[in-house]
Amino acid sequence: MKLLIVEDQPKTGHYLRQGLAEAGFTTELVADGTTGQHLALTGDYDLLILDVMLPGRDGWQILQAVRSAGLEIPVLFLTARDAVEERVHGLELGADDYLIKPFAFSELLARVRSLLRRGSSTPQETALQLADLRLDLIRRRVERDGQRIDLTAKEFSLLELLLRRQGEVLPKSLIASQVWDMNFDSDTNIIEVAIRRLRLKVDDPFPTKLIHTVRGMGYVLEERCN
Amino acid sequence: MQLIKRLSLASRLALLFAACTAVVSLLAGVLFNQASEAHFIELDQQQLDNKLITLRSTLQGVDSAKSFAQREAQLRAELNRQPDLALRITAAGQRWFDTAPSVSLPAAPGLHSLQNAGTDYRVYNAPLMAGLPDSPQLSLMLDITHHQHFLQRMQRLIWLTVGLSALATALLGAWAARSGLRPLRRMGEVAAGVSAHSLTQRLPQQHMPVELAELAQAFNAMLGRLDDAFQRLSAFSADIAHELRTPLSNLLTQTQVILTQPRPLEDYREALHSNLEELQWMAQLVNDMLYLAKADHGLLMPKREPLVLTDEVEALLEFYALLAEDARVSLIREGSAQTSGDRCMLRRALSNLLDNALRFTPAGGEVRVRLAQGARGVTLTVENTGDGIPAELLPRLFDRFYRADPARHEGSSEHAGLGLAITQSIVRAHGGRIYCESAAGWTRFVIELPS
Repeated sequence: MKLLIVEDQPKTGHYLRQGLAEAGFTTELVADGTTGQHLALTGDYDLLILDVMLPGRDGWQILQAVRSAGLEIPVLFLTARDAVEERVHGLELGADDYLIKPFAFSELLARVRSLLRRGSSTPQETALQLADLRLDLIRRRVERDGQRIDLTAKEFSLLELLLRRQGEVLPKSLIASQVWDMNFDSDTNIIEVAIRRLRLKVDDPFPTKLIHTVRGMGYVLEERCN
Repeated sequence: MQLIKRLSLASRLALLFAACTAVVSLLAGVLFNQASEAHFIELDQQQLDNKLITLRSTLQGVDSAKSFAQREAQLRAELNRQPDLALRITAAGQRWFDTAPSVSLPAAPGLHSLQNAGTDYRVYNAPLMAGLPDSPQLSLMLDITHHQHFLQRMQRLIWLTVGLSALATALLGAWAARSGLRPLRRMGEVAAGVSAHSLTQRLPQQHMPVELAELAQAFNAMLGRLDDAFQRLSAFSADIAHELRTPLSNLLTQTQVILTQPRPLEDYREALHSNLEELQWMAQLVNDMLYLAKADHGLLMPKREPLVLTDEVEALLEFYALLAEDARVSLIREGSAQTSGDRCMLRRALSNLLDNALRFTPAGGEVRVRLAQGARGVTLTVENTGDGIPAELLPRLFDRFYRADPARHEGSSEHAGLGLAITQSIVRAHGGRIYCESAAGWTRFVIELPS
């Protein structure tokens, strides 16, 4: 997966590139709009991450050029300005998503993955699995190590999300949005409680723990050695 | 036009007074003038009537030029006794007698006025013998120059009076207006002295005239509101600085301490995690403040989508169910309602109220959300059991950074006391209002949204 980051602030750009590279993406970073637009039009990228304020050409202009060239690359905007008009502007021009600075890197990573996944059509799954944990989507049943686990509807949705995006750190805001459809900065520890409940049923009775807390970032479902 | 617009109020009033006096005295003068003129005409008529009687008796029986000639000497003697009277006698187109200056006199019978060579006359035409159609005609001509002189003098006097009284009232009016408007000037002085540092000045309302008292009251109320808003705003900036200082100093100290000497890897990781928590809290604070700033600038523009509030509340209660269960608080919804508004914003507003209610409800208590559809809109109440909020604290609840519970430690993952302020901004952006009621044992937040 090849990503182009156009960001003029050196520190932000550097950390974005490092973080995305360590998450397994091939990234290219440019600091000015003109080069950014040239690369976006000629290079074969899977996703563009554009800052709005850029020297040369700004994010909107690059987006316009990309869209009028008929390219369907997903575009994620980073903006420091939190004005309603800008959101409308961006989404009308065909931006796929936007993040307002300051944002959490885990949030960015989750959005990048969502955008990249959007294009590829995943085959209709009937079951999700990790290690000895198995989630049957049709019968809506969960089993671990052959034992049936009873989950509430929300717990089931939460586990399904974790399983679908296993190995990814999911920020609390993303979990609130995906499972409960709460799309605001809810600053409660509801997600913590929900995860604790889920752990009680899915992890606690078993020796291997699958749900992990990444402090300050979110939760991840993966099989860890030891 | 420009000049008139820019004239001072006192000059305007003075000019107006002067104009009024001028008009009134002019009217009085004109009336008096006309009355005197009418009076003179009446006098002249009487005088001429008397003279006509004398002349008729002198000329009694005269019906031809011949018989007139016999009486002419007698007539002249009579006329000599009356130097201001001239006479012309005409009969069948012939002039029998004429002491009048050679002017053509009006032919119609009755009283006429005439001016000839600088002298004014009253002309009176009458037949010598009343009732006879072919009787000789008498034209009496009375010199009334002295009347006219009197009238002219009078007119001059009138103009003088008009001018002088207008001038006098202009001066007196200017003085009266200036002293009458003194309270206004005092108001201006107070207004000029108002700045961000002296919003506490007020107009002395009890010394104001009735007309200005209302204005002064409105002015004072405005100053009061400004003062209040300004106090809150300056407290807000101070609070921001204070709120940021704690996490910033934590970050600084911790990072510096960690960097002073080599440490095991785990220590660095721990320090970074701890920094991350502080930073996230600060990011949340900044985002909340930006949201409030946007609301302050009227940039919070809610969408207007039809919303079944019942469903929205159910979704939120489901979201909070786990937390409530943990706190052993029951969540209850009553009633149903629908409105139009911004789903995301209203959810956020409500979630702040629920969050707040859950935090202050003791175990075993309940949080009750009531929905009611009224004629004028929707009422939404979030009520929780628990210790009430003292009445004097109620108005301050929606202030930024206000915390009903000062014991809350700083830098925790909770909202920095901006939740209720954000809720209020959202409700206001929807054109509604929010208030809080409380008594021993319960606290109730009421949102009223117009339909």
